[in-house]
Amino acid sequence: MAEEKVEQRRRWREFWRRFSRNKLAVVGLVLVFVMFFTGIFAPWLAPYSYTDQNLDAVEQMPSLAHPLGTDELGRDQLSRILWGARTAVIIAPTATFFGVSLGLLLGLLAGYYRGWVETVIMRFADILFAFPGILLAILIAATVQGRIEAWLKGFEALEGFVKAGFAQVLVVIVALSAVGWPGMARLVRGQVLSLREEQFVEAAWAIGARPWRVIRHHILPNAMAPIVVSVSMSMGGAIVAEAGLSFMGIGIRPPTPSWGALIIDNYSFWRSPAAPVLLWLPALIVGAMVAAFNFVGDGLNEALSPGW
Amino acid sequence: MALLEVKGLKTRFFTEDGVVHAVNGITYELNEGGTLGIVGESGCGKSVSVLSVMRLIPEPPGKIVGGEVLFEGRDLLKMDAEDVRKVRGNRIAMVFQDPMTSLNPVLTIGRQIDEALELHMSMDKRQARQRTIELLEMVGIPEAGDRADDYPHQFSGGMRQRVMIAMALSCNPRVLIADEPTTALDVTIQAQIIDLVKRLRDDIGMAIIWITHDLGIIAGLAERVIVMYAGYIVERASVKDVYGDPRHPYTIGLLGSLPRLDETRKRRLFSMRGLPPDLIDLQPGCPFAPRCDYVIDRCREEMPPLEPVSLGHEIACWVDVRSSRPSKPAS
Repeated sequence: MAEEKVEQRRRWREFWRRFSRNKLAVVGLVLVFVMFFTGIFAPWLAPYSYTDQNLDAVEQMPSLAHPLGTDELGRDQLSRILWGARTAVIIAPTATFFGVSLGLLLGLLAGYYRGWVETVIMRFADILFAFPGILLAILIAATVQGRIEAWLKGFEALEGFVKAGFAQVLVVIVALSAVGWPGMARLVRGQVLSLREEQFVEAAWAIGARPWRVIRHHILPNAMAPIVVSVSMSMGGAIVAEAGLSFMGIGIRPPTPSWGALIIDNYSFWRSPAAPVLLWLPALIVGAMVAAFNFVGDGLNEALSPGW
Repeated sequence: MALLEVKGLKTRFFTEDGVVHAVNGITYELNEGGTLGIVGESGCGKSVSVLSVMRLIPEPPGKIVGGEVLFEGRDLLKMDAEDVRKVRGNRIAMVFQDPMTSLNPVLTIGRQIDEALELHMSMDKRQARQRTIELLEMVGIPEAGDRADDYPHQFSGGMRQRVMIAMALSCNPRVLIADEPTTALDVTIQAQIIDLVKRLRDDIGMAIIWITHDLGIIAGLAERVIVMYAGYIVERASVKDVYGDPRHPYTIGLLGSLPRLDETRKRRLFSMRGLPPDLIDLQPGCPFAPRCDYVIDRCREEMPPLEPVSLGHEIACWVDVRSSRPSKPAS
């Protein structure tokens, strides 16, 4: 078994060698790490609380006390950006996780069972696809918002969470998962359709394997590369979609900080001298993170595709 | 009683272009330890006929529309899916044509052979691995213990086919179905694989169905040969009769297209004119009639039944090729 470990390590090294050939992908990976780090350690990294108002020091330019200045209520912009990373770190992976899981499951079912199962799932996916993603997310977010908030009020133990904007985070996650699955379902179905014709799948049937075993051992592992790439890309997509929803006012709302909410909060300062830190910086961060996840996706694609 | 009896097997594919009549009522039997060769050109239903036996036809679009497949006295076509799975890989195993694509690229070959053992022999991981290494040694893979942890891409084509054979033999099957297992290999490797299968057959005593379009391979391997054309059996005979006394014009054509080492005079290889018929739009009569040099009017109206011409030698043809002249000169 020690040999298996050596083999594992060798495969990782090989993977890293291919991945790191793409310099942008490495830069993207660093940015992603920074985002997760700040998101997880925001409470310790932020010099102030994200809700602390200081009405004596509003709309300040960057200074030693407030490295990125303050907003119209005198809240420290650096702290709000750091806490915004936390919102992104909660939303992007969770929304992606649910969207991908649902897409994976439905795509597998559609590709594997074909027939009416496939027709129902894929036509439904087509219908969802017919709407622009963000429009559908807005629709879903607006519809489920009231229900989720009412439902969460039923749990007294969760009161603290609700106050901290938990309901809004949940709304965004639900909306993004609901919009995210059709793409994954299509991708997975396509993979399954082509893999099920492979001779090694036929050979697996021929030794008497059951359907679930064929899917788990022979179909899924061979479909992993495009799925992993797509997961990385949709993380970036989730960040920008969250920003979009928050910008519309149906995502994360003040005082909970999120990068998208920061943009809308400070939108009125677009002519103020503090605009670069209050408005442009959060927008730049959103853009940079989307780019970072896409670069990582490209790198993964190159590292995982055979024949390189 | 025969180990495997196929009676009147019919398989069709219901596609958008129409119904493909892939297998049109074929009957044969395979005895314990015997070897049966199935010969015919591409698309004549060889593979579909054995995949039907294994119940591996994708449904839809395919469907077995008639016949019986009696294995050890039980009809495989009437079994439920779970019972068929117990037979597959365990009692009847299969080796496929292209060893480059019949192994899963992301699993070590050891894992893939273990799979069958865990499925049918209820072995735990350690026992399975031990047996896997024995099997790999049996099929002639050097340093089997180490190579079991290698991935398929680390093996050559011939070695992969040996791995496939090891996998097929893992549960000591009674029948091994080999679907053109040497077609994708070069000639020297072909010979090695054939020798290996012959040796294993004699050691283990399993029966073999060997599918090929190459009559030369069958000669030294099989006892009985079936010649298929357009989903029909057109000639069924002992291997000796097929080579020494072929009676169906199609078989004669196939043999004529083989180069021979013992030939003294230079001769052009015979090439059969025309193409195999479209199995969607099968005309009444003998499907070989449009390409046949001995064709008579009756051929275009009625499909001849498979009837004996001598003991253990049957053909499906209206014409006796020994007494009639080709109506057209051979091209």
